[in-house]
Amino acid sequence: MIIKRPASVLGIIAAGALALSACGSDANTPAGGSSSGAAAPTNSAPVECGGKKALVAEGSSAQKGAIEAFTAAYGVKCPDYQLSYTPSGSGAGVKQFTAGIVDIGGSDSALSKDKGEVDAAAQRCQSNPAWNLPLVFGPVGIAYKLDGVTDLTLTPEVTAKIFSGAVAKWNDPAITAINSGVSLPDKAITVIYRGDESGTTDNFQKYLKAAGKGAWTKDAGKKFNGGVGQGAQGSAGVADAIGAGDGTIGYIEWSYVQDKKLSAAKIDSGSGAVALGAEGAANAIKSATLKGEGNDLVIDLDALYASNTAGAYPLVLATYEIVCSKGYDPDTAKAVKAFLTVAATDGQAALADAGYVPLPNEFQAKLLTAIAAIA
Amino acid sequence: MTTATDLDRPAAPPAFQEVNSARRLKNRLATILVGFAFLIALAPLVWLLITVLAKGFEHVLNVDWWQKSLAGLTSRQFGGGVYHAIIGTLFQGLICAVIAVPIAILVAIYLVEYGKRSRLAKAVTFTVDILSGVPSIVAALFIYALWVTTLGMPRSAFAVSLALVLLMIPVVVRTTEELLKIVPDELREAAYALGIPKWKTIVKIVIPTAMSGIITGITLAIARVMGETAPVLVLVGYTVFINYDPFGGNMSSLPLLMTSERLTTNEVGEARVWGAAVTLILIITVFNLLGSLISRLTSLKTK
Repeated sequence: MIIKRPASVLGIIAAGALALSACGSDANTPAGGSSSGAAAPTNSAPVECGGKKALVAEGSSAQKGAIEAFTAAYGVKCPDYQLSYTPSGSGAGVKQFTAGIVDIGGSDSALSKDKGEVDAAAQRCQSNPAWNLPLVFGPVGIAYKLDGVTDLTLTPEVTAKIFSGAVAKWNDPAITAINSGVSLPDKAITVIYRGDESGTTDNFQKYLKAAGKGAWTKDAGKKFNGGVGQGAQGSAGVADAIGAGDGTIGYIEWSYVQDKKLSAAKIDSGSGAVALGAEGAANAIKSATLKGEGNDLVIDLDALYASNTAGAYPLVLATYEIVCSKGYDPDTAKAVKAFLTVAATDGQAALADAGYVPLPNEFQAKLLTAIAAIA
Repeated sequence: MTTATDLDRPAAPPAFQEVNSARRLKNRLATILVGFAFLIALAPLVWLLITVLAKGFEHVLNVDWWQKSLAGLTSRQFGGGVYHAIIGTLFQGLICAVIAVPIAILVAIYLVEYGKRSRLAKAVTFTVDILSGVPSIVAALFIYALWVTTLGMPRSAFAVSLALVLLMIPVVVRTTEELLKIVPDELREAAYALGIPKWKTIVKIVIPTAMSGIITGITLAIARVMGETAPVLVLVGYTVFINYDPFGGNMSSLPLLMTSERLTTNEVGEARVWGAAVTLILIITVFNLLGSLISRLTSLKTK
């Protein structure tokens, strides 16, 4: 009796588990939001599907949304092929890539020679160089919350002053001079910054240094060095803190500005105010120059940030996919190439909906050349 | 008159006299304080349950939620489900239980039946005590160092299970040990008197007597490890696809899905996180109910 009964109960559990495991499905049709998943690709390219079924990638949380769009497109183009992305941060992405644990690393900054990342990555790729492929671009918004003000223009110089504490009131002459016709209140400016180490902070400070005409006297780096304001955890935390306050200002990726429905300042780099959005950012990327060699496409950020091309929104976060130029096993190489090709072509269609900027044509051509050269 | 009352009076004064008002006051005060403490302890639990259910319950009512993964959806698109994470949570929890439960029960049997105050038993008890105090992140990093760094194995759901084993063994050893201890020695002595060998006494008499309690302990331990977050963050990658292979590839689980989707700040992400929280609570509730059902079915009939 005693022995038989648990056996029957175990039987029920096993049957239940089998029933549960029989009905799971990866087949989804997107509902709500946007219809981008089903939209016809604008830039379709022949893709050679094959190789490893499930690729593994890890890294920057800033490109999570873009990778989701790419993965969806990859699944449509190459049915049954998958890529799993763990958004654990740029540092983790580089580390897991150089340790050989993931196939593709995602990072907000290119591999650094000084930190030994270039050498470590080359070692992981069987003594072949690793390439930085800037596949995902997203504008960073200077989001603010100020009662009654929905239209605000800032210059890089004034922005640098605000984020270093030199301008502390909303009605400071420096701000009112570039916002004629907007009545700004006599209210203190509360700066919200990323309290954790972040690629967004690094890029934002680089931007202020490059474009701020000397108004930014602090260092760049992954920690915020402005010395004013309050820290918040992650872009989500910054967005929450901006939305909850009054007179707050901070820097966050475009997708967070959209999700939290915040107002973002226009940027006037010297040739007219440009609003945060795909168009302005795409104009900026078009004029971006490369400083990497051959197929290692490292963006020259200083030149990009300091540019004052009309209609360009230069505060752009370029995030890289870090891949081996050679040294994958043949299966992995084939799948990596297929995924990156889909990402650079079909995957671009859904990007604007996700808060990112589709690649300009010349850039896409360069990327496709590099992707084709992976062996 | 006086003789009558003397006769009516009990021979000895009653043991319990009328309680005086000061003591009654103290009693009432203590009752109120204890009741109040109970309410304070209960409040966060009820509050948590209500919040989670209010925010997440509507999302789990959809059939897709239980049958589909989040594959092919971006964080701006509703739809899909958490099947991939449910499978991961169950796989990791059950693989852990399959490894940990036999080891833990055998250790407990050794401690109670064979080891009794030997030096080895003391050492084992001491080790189990230390192990039960190890934070889950330390267990996860230990397995990472051993499994991934030293042995060169890939990150996988199995590695998570190994870390969970470290967390589960001390819990099960402790509960099983206590339950075996309360099995009356008379039962063992009666069995020995009939000439039954020691191992048979343990298998046929001692364990069945303690079985229902042991099973309760095991289900509680499974419920505890299923909610662990640190091992899944360190030892396995996130994925939106269903993965049935515990030895390779990324595998999602409910805690991992919640930490990953927390990065999505819009209402889609919120729906997924709260929905996953409700799902996890429901699964653990089902496990606890299942545990009490099994323990009722296996408990000995007391006439």
